[in-house]
Amino acid sequence: MEGINQFISFTGFANLTIGHIVMIVIGLIFIYLAIKKEYEPLLLVPIGFGILVGNIPFVENVGMQIGIYEQGSVLNYLYFGVMKGIYPPLIFLGIGAMTDFSALISNPKLMLLGAAAQVGIFLTFMAALALGFTINQAAAIGIIGGADGPTAIFLSSKLAPELLGAIAIAAYSYMALVPVIQPPIIKLLTSKKERLIKMKPPKAVTKLEKMSFPIVGLLLTTFISPGALPLLGMLFFGNLLKESGVTKRLADTAAKPLIDIVTILLGLTVGASTQATTFLTPESILIFVLGAISFMIATAGGVLFAKFMNLFLKGDNQLNPMIGAAGVSAVPDSARVVHNLGQIEDPTNYLLMHAMAPNVAGVIGSAVAAGILMGFLLKVI
Amino acid sequence: MFDKFSFSNIWENDGIFISVVGYLIVFVALLFLSIIITNFQKILVSKQRKKLKTVGHRAAEAENLEISGEVSAAISVAFYLHFQENHDVENTVLTIRKVQRAYSPWSSKIYGLREYPKR
Repeated sequence: MEGINQFISFTGFANLTIGHIVMIVIGLIFIYLAIKKEYEPLLLVPIGFGILVGNIPFVENVGMQIGIYEQGSVLNYLYFGVMKGIYPPLIFLGIGAMTDFSALISNPKLMLLGAAAQVGIFLTFMAALALGFTINQAAAIGIIGGADGPTAIFLSSKLAPELLGAIAIAAYSYMALVPVIQPPIIKLLTSKKERLIKMKPPKAVTKLEKMSFPIVGLLLTTFISPGALPLLGMLFFGNLLKESGVTKRLADTAAKPLIDIVTILLGLTVGASTQATTFLTPESILIFVLGAISFMIATAGGVLFAKFMNLFLKGDNQLNPMIGAAGVSAVPDSARVVHNLGQIEDPTNYLLMHAMAPNVAGVIGSAVAAGILMGFLLKVI
Repeated sequence: MFDKFSFSNIWENDGIFISVVGYLIVFVALLFLSIIITNFQKILVSKQRKKLKTVGHRAAEAENLEISGEVSAAISVAFYLHFQENHDVENTVLTIRKVQRAYSPWSSKIYGLREYPKR
């Protein structure tokens, strides 16, 4: 009889709390959005399912070693890659091997849009400080505005590991919700006339330029911001594998199987890290709100800076200010959103290539920003 | 949730200083990268012009050496047509190769549609 009682006390039903139910519902919403609405399914399916895995109620610390936060459990081993910031650089390697920087190389001034959109990071950093978060926590929250999941995980694993789960979920949620969050802000800040601007086609880029870009990019950005080395080193390495033309096998592995494996592990463990007992706190809710604000500011910052640049650009050199919104580094979703908005206004206006330039610049910009914050704050510790 | 809210937290933690300097550094890093790439392109063009000049090609004097996307596409199509659709040297032997067909009532002329279907 005692055995049966113990078994019953170990079941999920006996340990169920409102928190678990809330988190399971959130996980189901993620899965719904991924499958039905096709919002970033490659991320939201693993994260959504991870949330379910992480929120099956059980009795903690009785030696079963099943929870993600229990030493020695399988999930804990897999989560190690998140906690120590191992997965994000591997993801960046794959992104580098997949990314074509031609649009950026052919029109380098668009790089400034990628820098402008990082305003979201720093304004949210100040807002989080005002709300009473510690300086390291504020920096980790601010980076959500970079709209770059791996960068957000990397920085929070270094500066505020206690907030890692909430920050990662917020960052990936907003990345997936790019098609919902960005269009109203873009429309609010641009006139119809501006949205109709057609940009001149990007010029052809030579192979030498493409091969030189990752080398020059690495040397310059990491000398300025060495903290970004793990991310940018891998990003540019992956890109050189692709562009060199002599390491096709390595580039293919980085761009396909490797990034897929890491995405599965990262998504599932980040989802599972939202265990209701440690995740559902007022702080997490605040982080979600701050993340949304950060993302909106970043989008607005990019659009407004593109409008500012237009004051100095004449004729067919003018920018369609919508591409500024792609300065957030949600690649390639925000570029796609900008392109689709352009197509709604004028079906003959193809903005995808133009929007990809600030989009990939945003990846570099947010990684540089993360490196800078690390550089500042590791001194403060 | 908001009990710790105070703007003085920003000031006390050097928030404004870190934000302004950090944002400027991001800008400077990407501005430098943009300037270097722009100049790199200029160096490549001048090298190309020099090469054309030594050969005595008239394109060396052209204002813009850049090949537009449309021209690149036209060249690519020409190459494709040249290498893939080479009808002039088509192998005519193929057209008189005898085809062996084993007899089968399924493919027989006798049972084909020349006959009206029987009711």
